[in-house]
Amino acid sequence: MKNRSLSFWLFLTPTLVALALVVFIPVIEGLFYSFTNWDGLTFTKMVGFQNYITLFHDKAFINAFWFTVGFVIVTVIMLNVIGLGLALLVTQKFKGNNFLRTVFFMPNMIGGLILGFIWQFIFTQGFQALGDALHMNWLQNWLTNETTGFWGLVIVTVWQMSGYIMIIYIAYLQNIPNEIIEAAKIDGASAWQRFTKITFPMIAPAFTVCMFLTLSNGFKIYDQNLSLTNGGPYNSTQMLAMDIVNTAYNSANFSLSEAKAIVFFVIVAAISLVQVAYNRKREEDL
Amino acid sequence: MKKNFWKRLGKRVAVVALAAGAAFTLAACSNSSSSGKDVKITILQGKVENNKQFKQIAKEYEKSHPHVKIEVTSIGGGTQYDPVLKTRISSGNAPTIFSLAGPADVQQFKAHEADLSDTKAAKAAQPGTLDAVKTGGKIVGLPFNVEGYGFVYNKKVFEKAGIDPNSLTTVDKLEAAVKQLDSQKEQLGIKGVFALPGKEAWIMSDHLLNPYVAQDYNGNALKLYKSKKMAFSKNADMKTMLDLQKDYSIKPVMQMDYSAQVNQYFSQGKAAMIQQGDWIYPTVEGIDKNFAKNDIGMIPIPVPGEEGKLPVGTSLYWAVNSQKSTAEQKAAKNFLDWLYTSKAGKKDVVNTLHFVPAYKGYDNYKMSDPLTSVVFNYSQKHQTTGWAFPGYTGTSWDPDVAQPNLQKYLSGKQSWDKTVKNMTDGWAKQQNK
Repeated sequence: MKNRSLSFWLFLTPTLVALALVVFIPVIEGLFYSFTNWDGLTFTKMVGFQNYITLFHDKAFINAFWFTVGFVIVTVIMLNVIGLGLALLVTQKFKGNNFLRTVFFMPNMIGGLILGFIWQFIFTQGFQALGDALHMNWLQNWLTNETTGFWGLVIVTVWQMSGYIMIIYIAYLQNIPNEIIEAAKIDGASAWQRFTKITFPMIAPAFTVCMFLTLSNGFKIYDQNLSLTNGGPYNSTQMLAMDIVNTAYNSANFSLSEAKAIVFFVIVAAISLVQVAYNRKREEDL
Repeated sequence: MKKNFWKRLGKRVAVVALAAGAAFTLAACSNSSSSGKDVKITILQGKVENNKQFKQIAKEYEKSHPHVKIEVTSIGGGTQYDPVLKTRISSGNAPTIFSLAGPADVQQFKAHEADLSDTKAAKAAQPGTLDAVKTGGKIVGLPFNVEGYGFVYNKKVFEKAGIDPNSLTTVDKLEAAVKQLDSQKEQLGIKGVFALPGKEAWIMSDHLLNPYVAQDYNGNALKLYKSKKMAFSKNADMKTMLDLQKDYSIKPVMQMDYSAQVNQYFSQGKAAMIQQGDWIYPTVEGIDKNFAKNDIGMIPIPVPGEEGKLPVGTSLYWAVNSQKSTAEQKAAKNFLDWLYTSKAGKKDVVNTLHFVPAYKGYDNYKMSDPLTSVVFNYSQKHQTTGWAFPGYTGTSWDPDVAQPNLQKYLSGKQSWDKTVKNMTDGWAKQQNK
């Protein structure tokens, strides 16, 4: 603790000030507003926990919550499986693996909003045309109901993010010393055994990172939701972040929206922390 | 009511708009050195599609009034406008002139609204246009313009089918015509009679719903805004009209959005008519100039009891900030008076902004496009009904109750009776809080 000298604080101050200005103060302010009847301009009284009580009876919020939870479960599994699969594929020695890495990563370079619009076109026009040509009903009327809206969102998110997850897995895969694998080969381990007993434990830290990224990203997703379905039809594909934004800006209910945002923050923080703590522990065990 | 379209798009462009606003503020700071006598008024308004024209008019006014400086900022309507105005007010950078969308806004920004009853423009306003902005004996808003909507039709398709659109004055006549058009789809080269955008819930919840609830409130938005109960006694008539549009629309209805309806289908002659308003003219013109100029027209939606009347109303009002200095307020009022009552201003209103005026004294003016001409003619002949829907568009009932329920009905997930019940119950719940 001795090195916490003047220079220590001097170097820390700019970051602390920046964090305080854009994170700590707004969060505290938001927490305060969630106990008032703030309309974005003024508030006339403190309402205690009224906003929190209201939000647990708010069908739209509950609906958005379960929709988001479902979405997170599906995308976390799919992203990690596909991301790891792609990583394993492009770390094999064959011509063009660098090219493939670039291709798989590319969707991640496109902004979520634009991506949503592109996929909206694919789902409504492309799928429709394909469905007409092949007489496949399930390809038609995409994004017009909750189910296709849900899977549309999943497809876009997985398509966009798996390249990013792949990069992280690649980094860890390349760190596995060749000697261990070779030693295992000599000992007669099969490819599957090498994967489960050596590769997988060695990349456990990557798993922690990727789980965290996909989890928190899944909860916080907004732009794809906005451009792909905009919550429709009948608000059935509205996710938590969108419900919060709409409560504030469409329904002009700023204090309720603040309360929802606080609850949202607590949920995401709790789940993410528990997940990281658990995976860290598992890493040590392995 | 193009604003509602922007309400949807608004969020998507909000970032750009905010960035532009910030850039504008910075630019404005750099040249704020003016002599003591000069007055600077700032305008923040929600009709973003007229941004360029308002800036041009402001420049023109600065030339003829050298002591006044005007700064115009436009924010893409509805949802994004209110938060920006709130931010500007709480950061001490409140505009001198701002826009109000209806009774809910009047209530929200009460502390900043100056009384405008002494302006020339308020005295010249057409009867009824100020109803929504009267509060406590004051007039706090001046209408931008009036707009109207109905069925915008494709003249060529109707000619080919031998139907006179102006004869479709009752629901029965319209239905017969729709069936005839539908049976001749291929000869007429259309994909459907209507193009109903199921994705844009506001087209149903605002425009289509309006004539059927407005009757219970004499078309007065303020009355509706203050009502504890929504009778919605004409709901069966609305169902007929909604079903007609749905059944004979290009499918799938629930995939269609505003741009599919207007750009993709109507402007390219794929739909015989669409339920829209005069604000779509620039969009249609942008796609096919000749088609827009020569081949489109508008008829009222036939509503039992109100046949032959066009719903005409105001989507935005000007307000002057009462917390600014007297000199600034006076300059702001002078500018608005100049815009709507002086000769040069009137010319700008009609020819630059393409507004259908909400004021008297425009008898000698001619509107420049076929859709605004229809609105202008109906309002000159007083064959209009009021817009009651601004009484609910600013409240959470619209996005949270009316829109999802109507979409559920359109998707076949919910019966009409349940839809009506949810809507009227939701209104009662909101109003009796």
